[in-house]
Parts: sequence; structure tokens; C-alpha cells
Amino acid sequence: MDIYFCLRQPLEMVDSKRMKTSSNFQWLLSSFILLCLMNQVNSQKKGAPHDLKCITNNLKVWDCSWKAPSGRDTLYEVCIENRFNSCYRSEKTNTKIPALLPGDHEISINPIHNHSSISKFILNEENISLIPDTPEILNLTADFSTSALHIKWNDKGSAFPHHSNVTWQIEILRKKKMEIVTLMTHNTTLNGKDTLHHWSWTSDMPLECVTHYVRMRCYIDDLHFSGHKEWSDWSPVKNISWSPDYQPKVFPEDKVVLVGSDVTVCCVIQEKVILAQFGKEKCSLIHLDGENVAIKIYNISVSPTSGTNVVFTTDTNLVGTVIFAGYPPDIPQKLNCETRDLKEIICTWNPGRPTGLLGPHNTSYTLFESFSGKNVTFKRAEDPADISYQLFFQMIPNWEIYNFTLNARNPLGQSESTILVNITKRAVYPHTPTSFKVKDTNSTAVSLSWYLQGNFAKMHLLCQVEITKSNSVQELRNVTVKGVEDSSYFVVVGKLSPYTNYTFRIRCSTETFWKWSSWTIEKQHLTTEAIPSKGPDTWREWSSDGKNLIIYWKPLPINEANGRILSYNVSCSSDEETQSLSEIPDRQHKAEIQLDKNDYIISVVAKNSVGSSPPSKIASMEIPNEDDLKIEQAVGMGNGIFLSWNYDPNMTCDYVIKWCNSSRPGPCLMDWKKVPSNSTEAVIESDQFRPGVRYNFFLYGCRNQGYQLLRSIMGYIEELAPIVAPNFTVEDTSADSILVKWEDIPVEELRGFLRGYLFYFGKGERGTSKMRGLGPETGHSDIKVKNITDISQKTLKIADLQGKTSYRLVLRAYTDGGIGPEKSMYVVTKENSVGLIIAILIPVAVAVIVGVVTSILCYRKREWIKETFYPDIPNPENCKALQFQKSVCEGNSALTLEMNPCTPNNVEVLETRTVVPKIEDTEIVSPVAEHPEDSSEAEPENHVVVSYCPPIIEEEIPNPVADEAGGTSQVIYIDVQSMYQPQAKPEEQENDPVGGSGYKPQMHLPVSSPVEDGTAEDDLDDTAGYRPQANVSTWHLVSPDSPRSTDSNSEVVSFGSPCSINSRQFLLPPKDEDSPKSTGGGWSFTNFFQNKPND
Amino acid sequence: QDQEFGADLWFPLPAPLCLLTLLLPPLSSAAPISPAKPISQAYSLALYMQKNTSTLLQTYLQYQGSPFSDPGFSAPELQLSSLPSAAVSFKIWHALEDAERLSRAQGAFLALTQHLQLVGDDQTDLNPDSPILLAQLRAARLRAQGLLGNMAAIMTALGLPIPPEEDTLGLVRFGASAFERKCRGYVVTREYGHWTDRAVRDLALLKAK
Repeated sequence: MDIYFCLRQPLEMVDSKRMKTSSNFQWLLSSFILLCLMNQVNSQKKGAPHDLKCITNNLKVWDCSWKAPSGRDTLYEVCIENRFNSCYRSEKTNTKIPALLPGDHEISINPIHNHSSISKFILNEENISLIPDTPEILNLTADFSTSALHIKWNDKGSAFPHHSNVTWQIEILRKKKMEIVTLMTHNTTLNGKDTLHHWSWTSDMPLECVTHYVRMRCYIDDLHFSGHKEWSDWSPVKNISWSPDYQPKVFPEDKVVLVGSDVTVCCVIQEKVILAQFGKEKCSLIHLDGENVAIKIYNISVSPTSGTNVVFTTDTNLVGTVIFAGYPPDIPQKLNCETRDLKEIICTWNPGRPTGLLGPHNTSYTLFESFSGKNVTFKRAEDPADISYQLFFQMIPNWEIYNFTLNARNPLGQSESTILVNITKRAVYPHTPTSFKVKDTNSTAVSLSWYLQGNFAKMHLLCQVEITKSNSVQELRNVTVKGVEDSSYFVVVGKLSPYTNYTFRIRCSTETFWKWSSWTIEKQHLTTEAIPSKGPDTWREWSSDGKNLIIYWKPLPINEANGRILSYNVSCSSDEETQSLSEIPDRQHKAEIQLDKNDYIISVVAKNSVGSSPPSKIASMEIPNEDDLKIEQAVGMGNGIFLSWNYDPNMTCDYVIKWCNSSRPGPCLMDWKKVPSNSTEAVIESDQFRPGVRYNFFLYGCRNQGYQLLRSIMGYIEELAPIVAPNFTVEDTSADSILVKWEDIPVEELRGFLRGYLFYFGKGERGTSKMRGLGPETGHSDIKVKNITDISQKTLKIADLQGKTSYRLVLRAYTDGGIGPEKSMYVVTKENSVGLIIAILIPVAVAVIVGVVTSILCYRKREWIKETFYPDIPNPENCKALQFQKSVCEGNSALTLEMNPCTPNNVEVLETRTVVPKIEDTEIVSPVAEHPEDSSEAEPENHVVVSYCPPIIEEEIPNPVADEAGGTSQVIYIDVQSMYQPQAKPEEQENDPVGGSGYKPQMHLPVSSPVEDGTAEDDLDDTAGYRPQANVSTWHLVSPDSPRSTDSNSEVVSFGSPCSINSRQFLLPPKDEDSPKSTGGGWSFTNFFQNKPND
Repeated sequence: QDQEFGADLWFPLPAPLCLLTLLLPPLSSAAPISPAKPISQAYSLALYMQKNTSTLLQTYLQYQGSPFSDPGFSAPELQLSSLPSAAVSFKIWHALEDAERLSRAQGAFLALTQHLQLVGDDQTDLNPDSPILLAQLRAARLRAQGLLGNMAAIMTALGLPIPPEEDTLGLVRFGASAFERKCRGYVVTREYGHWTDRAVRDLALLKAK
């Protein structure tokens, strides 16, 4: 019963799993107690079987074993106590019983010879372990070339009652040390039968280099079995190894690998390898059994043509192998299949990315046609540089649709490309036509023939003819011809021009257009001649003398000549007679016929080898014009001139415009142009037109082969500026005007219609730069411009000019094309004599009148003047002119006017002197009369300007110190005393005029000290030029007109003032004797009227 | 190819013509001919060949990839059992009879022509895009054949028996690996140079006599 519990425990444990988590702890506790109890019981009953364990390997039979006391041979009876009550006897402590149904079964094990104890167990499937039989590898083989291991075994599935999943574990081991390389699982199903299984594994390491071991085990996952499932034991190990030659070898040999993959290379060798190299790269060695080594190459790059070498070096040997790393073939690109002759299909393609593999590893191509099942294989060209990827497939008769598959294959893989073609409709690319020929049919048609290889019997060919005219005009014409097999074709090409050089070439396609063939080579052909289609363009002019008619015609253009023009026939016919000139050679394009003024019809015919052209007719006489024609002016557009006219229904044939250079002599005909009668305008263009040249254009209208002049036009293609200036001359010159006359400019030099003249004039002399540039652009303000727009004006009068002045005149002509050059001339106007006379006379007259009036006034008022300026008694107090000074001088002296500084010394000096003159004064009556020479002698000295400063004269100080100032103080003395010198020594002065000039006042002055005398003598030379007595005239120079006045402002103020210390004048001037002296001086009004009474 | 070859030759006669004359067995074997001329011709050809042997070897190695193409590559340990080695001690060589010396050289060049053919075929597989190498191998083979013919003429002139032409290659390993082919090509081109050097000495010695 104890065992029951023991066995029961786990069952409960299984059940208890379903219990709630909260009861887990309780359960653990109770199980622990039970275990303790069970051990106790076992120890008490050691003789009874215990520890029953059952396993199964096929789910049909359970193999149960138990433990029993050893040492005794016991027979056991194992009974399954169920309703069948079956028992099994066993001599061992195990027995096999058939698998029991799910649920608890009571098993009793009864040792028969030992009645001591019967053990009873409760057995359930859940307590049974399923351990499959150990599998066995039936066969282990190796494919050394691919390094693959193939394993074969039997699953022994017949032993199992029902289908089960089986997991196989296969373990690969390497080297003698049995290093695990890999462990892999493989799932199969047991299906109730013994089944052989195969499994393969590819080794990264070549199998030749090292022994590989394989073992396996399995695990059966039977869904119906609720007991334990366990892995079987490992099968016995099987190994695979390579029996080496004596020679060392390297593996793999010549292996082709994908770029980027990893490769292991190994070497079977008996020597020690010292170096391993992959290409240029040294590799680390992986040691295998014995001396065998391996290297691992990662991420291999593309190999050179001869592969990448792997070399193992020993002391005495060199072994190796070659690895070819490349790519599988790319998908063939641009696969295209077409036929050129409908006999053979050519498929072309582009191989795409290079594989990097050549020689035996090169890509092979196979073209397979699926409908017919035929295939062709690509054969590589001998010369590897010239690889054209194309394959030829023979067409199957009456077969139109082909489905091609191009397969590319190399050791690394394969790829393919397919194309479905309807060969007759979308894939005919004919050969280039050959034997291309051109033959004449007539002057406007040729026949073309060519040969085209190919079987086009059941279709039409579309061919294209390219016709190139000699002047490079191209035309394409399509022609359709019925196809034949390998034959020639003909077509006629019409609508050609006679006598024209054509270039023909042709290409063909089928009517269901796919591709044009290449063009044939070009063939040149000249079509035959035809008669000229039109008569030549004809005109006529009468010769200058009017006796001969010159007939002109133009050569026919090539498209109208239709051949080479050989000659012309000209005939002139009137009602009465016919003149004709025949066989005029082609080079000549005019003829002259003597005709009278009758009306003739001239006809001109051109002839070529085929025949004559229709005649061109023109009347010899012009139809007179009723109106007088006005010559019009026109200017062109640079390259031509545009003319237009009104529509005239009378003009039935055409219009003709002829033109000529107006300046050329002879008949006016340079060229002509015919315009249809319905046009009303024409542009005349000619290479002969030159700008600045005047042309005459004449428009004729045609009526019944006769021409009538409608308009006459004078024009320029382009106007230019005149090339010369007009010649001009001065016709007349006056004091204030110039008359200019000029001439016309010749037409050749005018180079345009004259629009006017520009006349410039301005002051200027020949050679002065001022007038150089004349014209509006120079902008001289003093240059006047006259624009003469009246071109008929030929003279110009310029007025308002200045007399006796040089003028520059410039004349320029201008047209619409610009202003011409200038021509200049210098003209001097005449002198104006009346003006000069007036200019002299008026000032003289004015001066005389003023003089007379002044004289009269002075004479009449002489008493008043005398009273005012020169009273008889020269008392300064009575002097009206000096009265205003009194108050100023009152403080110091009644006699002197002093300005500050005004020293009393001076006053004293003067006072002493005033006595003397008073005596003398009366004696001096008229010094002029008495000493005329003196005055005249003194005159030149009168102009000497004496300037001195007014020093403070300390006469009383006879100090030698005064010597320093002596010079100046003496001047004062001299100045003052000299006035009296003539009175004191009149004789002396007369006798010694020289001595008079160098006067010695110190000799006469009592106040003068001897020292002063000395100094005065010393200074005599210095003062020699000073003659104040002779300068009497300056006394009265009060007027600002006096030259003294300009000396300095201070002197102006003080000059003439009786009080001025600066004054060199005598404060009391002598009344009469001084005045005559002054008269000898310069111009002075004072003198003027002072002298008068004397006169 | 012949034109190219002819252009290389420094002697005045066009090479194909020369080779043809050399290859042809002497028609009038009965009449004794002076051996000087064939010796001189053979010597000239051998000298010319000597100038090109190193180029051939270098070109060959250049196309085989590393380590063959590495500068200074040399693998004296590589030998071919089917190809006699040119290395011989001077004493033995000098002591050899003329006939024996000629016979050895003749045998070696016979083997070389056959081997050069084999190497040419190998390289057509390995280096199909290298016409220069293939042309040089072809030219070397033709020259070796030419020298062989010359030697036959000398032997005839000297009244020596011409050894029968035998298959020196024997059973060729057609399944030889690419590496083996590269190696045997190396040995052949190297030995071709050695044997040419030895032939120049042989003929110089013969010429001197």
C-alpha cells in the first residue's frame, strides 16, 4: 500500500497542476510528509520488488523493470489486475507487457519463491517513457568534388502503430578530436512503414583534408502518447575520409565561386606548411590532422582571367590551387530577332554584366524555339576581342510566329530571356540593295533597277527613292513593287526636269514596315535635254544716234533652257520687211540692227540641241506718253529700291523697270526687270547697286508688245553725305557785311539728294585755333550758323558785322545721308572812317568847351577868388581859408596851427621868422618876372618827393645827441627857412643857382647853433636834392588831384593844413613871389587862375 | 603570326622560309655535306632564341597571377618528370661526346616542342584573352622545332644516327588542375630557356671544333 501511495504521488502531482496556485504550498508540504513515510516503509520491507519503471520504444510493448533484493534466483509473476487478469512470468527483474490502455492499472509483482511480499503498483501510461530505438546510419557517402556528405538511414516506422512526427538530430564532427562542426535537425513522419531517409550536407571544408564523422538520434513526438518522450541514444558514429596519394594536394581544385562568398582551401600534405597565400595576400593557417592545413578566405573578389592562385609553400615544395571568382550570367539584354532575307533569323543580344569568367567557365548561350522545339547553341568566335553575340536560326517554311528563349549558363548559374516575333510582319530588315543602276527613259523620267537578296515572294516591297537635284534639293518618293525571290527590281521615276543632274539612291523595306535597309550607293544621272520652255527675257534700246536698235536678252535660267543653249535667233519684222540675225552664239546676249523708225516687232528665240524656244516679242517703238512725266525721287533700303505704282488695266502684258547709272554716258540701260501685269509693286535689287550713286529708274507698261514709259524715278539705294564741300567765293565785303556766293556740287560728289547748306561764320583769323572746329557740334557761342534749306539759293549776305575784323566763313552741304566736309575762308571787313573821325573830334570839342567855360568863370570871379585864397595882406587871421583853425591853435600860439604833438619850440622858431618875411614880403613883388630862370631851373626838382617823419625838434638842446636826429631836425629847418632864403640872399641865389639848390639856412639863422651848422654842412649833400623853395607849387596842392595825395592817407589829411606838423609847406605861404615859381610846374587849376591876372 | 615572327629575325632570310628549310629532312642523305653550315645556322638560331627566352618566361609569369607574377618569382623545386633538366655539371657536360651532347639536346628540344604545344593549349583555356602570350608560346614552339631540324641536319652531316621521334609526354593528365597547368607551363618556359642556353654552348663547342 505504501508503494501505491508512492506511485500515486506523482499522479496527484500531475493533477495538482490544475489546482489553483493558492493551494501549491499546501500540496508541497503534504508530499514531503508522504515521502518520509514511504522511505520508512521501504526500509521495513526490503525483500519486496520496488521501483517499478516502464519504458516503451514502439508504443506497443512496455518494458517494465523493477528492483529486487539481489543474490537470489527468483521467478517473478507480474499480474495486471484488471478485468482480463493476465499474468506474465519472468526470471529477471523486468518483463514486457503489452501497452495498456489509458488509465490506472494495478500491477502486482509476486516473487514466486519468496512469499514474503507481493508488491503492487498502480501503472498509468503517463508514467511510461517513450524512448525510440537508437537509429542507425545505413550509409554515409561523400561527394568530394562538391564537399557534400550524403546520409541514409531507416526510420523503422513499421514498428509504430500510428503516424508520428520524428525529429532527427544529425551531428557532424571533424578531425580526430571529434570537434563538433554542426548539429542539425531533420523532421520526418512515421507512416507505419519502414522508410529510408536521405540527407545531405555540404561542408565548407573540402572533405579530402580531414576526416568527418556523423552520428544521429531521434525523438518521436506521438500525439496519442501521454507519457514522457525522450531522445533516443546517439547512433554509432560513421566517418568519411580520403585516402591521400603520396603527392601533396590542395582542395578544392579549380573551384568556381560567386564573388563575395567565403571559401575554405585546404592542403593535404606530409610536410610542414610555412606559408599560405591567396593571391598576394598571406593567410593564417588552420591546422587540421597531421600536417594538413586550411585557410579561410572571406568575401572573395572577382578573379583575373587565369583565376586567383592559392599557394601553400613548404621548405621543399610549392602546391596550390586556383579559385575562379565571378558572377552568374546576367539576363541577356536587348534580345532581338529579325530576318534580312526571310530564310534565316538572326537573334542578337547584349550579355550585360561581365561574369569575370572565361575559358571553360565562360557563359554558354542556347537559343530555343518553343513551337518547333529546335535549338541552336552559341559558338564563341575564335578571336575573343571580336565577340558579336548573335545566333542564326533557320526559318521554318510557312512559319511566321516564333517564340525564342535565350538561355545563358555558366558554373555559377543561369538566366534567360524570351522574345515572341511575327517574323514576316515585324522583323524583316532587308539587305542593302545591290547592283543599283539608272537608265534614261525620256527627258523627264529615268528607270531604276536593283537587286535584292531574299525570299520576298509572298509580299510586297516598299522602296524609297531619294532624288537629289544638283542644287541640293532633296525629294523622297515611295514605290511599291511586288516581291520575288533573290531577284532584280525595276521602277520608273518620272516628273524630273530635263537636262538636270540628279543623284539617286534607294532603300527598301517590306510593306509591313519594320526597318529600312541601308541606302544603296548614290548614282548620279543627267537627264536628257528638251526644247527651251520659254523665250529669253528681251529688251531693246535705241542707240545714241537713234539709227540702230540694240536688242538685249538675258540668258535663260537652267530650268527654262532645258539643255545647253547653243544659239539665239533674232528677227525684226514689220508689215513690209523682215530682218533676221540667226545663230548668234550663246555667249552673246545683244544684237544691233539698223532700223528705221517704223514699227517693228522684234522676236528672239533660244535654241538648244533639241529645238527652239517659243519667241519673245517686243515692239521696237515706245508708245508715246500723253502726259509730261515728272521726275520723282526715291531712296532705297540699302540693298534695293522699292517701287510701286497704280494698277493700270490697259497694261496687258507686263511691266518693265529698267535702270541705269545717271552719271554714265551712253544709252540708259544697266539692267531691267519684268514684273507680271497684275502686280503693282517691285523691289529692284542688283549686285551692281552702290550706295551714294544716283540711278535713274524707268517704269514701262506693256500693251500689245509695245512699251509705254509710265514713270521716271531718280533714286539712291542709300544716301551718303556729300564727299566735297561747295565751292564758295566772297562777292562783296563792306564794313559790316559780306556777300558770299557758292556753286553746285556735282551729282557724283553729292551722293544723295541735296537737302541744304550749313553756313557758319565767326570772328577768327587764319591760323588761330579758336576757329578750327566749326560747326554745330563745336558749340562755340560766338559762331553763328545759318541753315539754308532752300537749295536753289546760291548767295548769302551776312550783315551786322564789325568793321576791319577778320571773319572765318565755313560752308557745308548736307543730304539725308549726312553733312559733307567743310570749306572755310577768312574775310576781313572794311574800315569804318566816319566813326573814327567822330571818335577823335568829340573828345577834342568837349575839352575845348570845358576849358573855355572854366576860363570865363575864373575870369569873372577872379576878385572873389583872390579875396578868398590870396588876400593882399597875408594875415592868416584874415585868411578865410585858415579861420577855422584858430581855436585849435589858440592855447599855444595865435599864429601856428599845431597838431599834437605840438611843441612850443617850434612855435618859437616860426615866430622869429614871421618877422622877417613881413619885412621882405613887400619887397617880393613878382619873382616870376625877376627870376624866370630860377623857376625854370627849380622845375625839374619840383618833382622830387621828399618824405620825412615829423620829429620833435629840440632846437634848444645843442647836444651832440641831437646829431643822431640831426638829419631829420635839420630837414625841418631847411624846410622852414628855405622859404626865406631867397629873401635873405637873393643875389646869391641868382649868382649861384647851384648853391641855391644846396642852401645853408644855418648861416642866416641866428638861432642856429654852431653845432647845428656843422651838422647842416655835413648833411648838405644829403639834402642836396631838396628845394622846398623851388617847390612852391606844392604849397597849394590841396587838391586830391595832386600827385602827392597818393603817397599816403595821413599825408592827405594833413597836406595843406596850416597846423600840420608834417607839412612841408609853409604855414604862411608867400603871397606873390612863390606863385610864379609854381606856374612852371605841372597841370593845376590853381596855377591856371593864379597866373591869369599876371598875364 | 609568321610575319610577326619573320620581322623579329635578324638574319636576312625570311623566317618561314628558313624554318621550312630547317624542318625539311635532308633529301640527299647519301652525299656527305659539310657540317659547318648547319652548325652555323643552328648556332645563329639558338643565339636568337636565347634573346627571347627571358621575355617568354616573364610574359608567361605575368599572365598567371600572383605569386607567379610577383617580381623575382622562382620555384626551382618545380620539375616535370617528362622534361629532362638542362642542369648538368660542367665536367660531365664537357666530357660528353659530340654525338651524345647533340643527342641530349635534340631529345630535350623534342620534349620541349611537345610541352610547348601542351602549355599553349593550357593557356588557351586559362588566358583566352591574352593573344600576346599565346603568340609567344606559338613562336617559341616553332623556334624549338626549327632548332630541332637544324640539329638533325648537323647529325646527318656528321653521320650520326638521328634518334627516332618519340612521344615524350606520354599520357598527359588532361584533368590536371589549373594550378598544375600553370606550374607545368612555368617549368616548360623556364626549361626552354635553360635548354636554349645549353644549346648555344653545345653548338659553340661544336662550331669551335
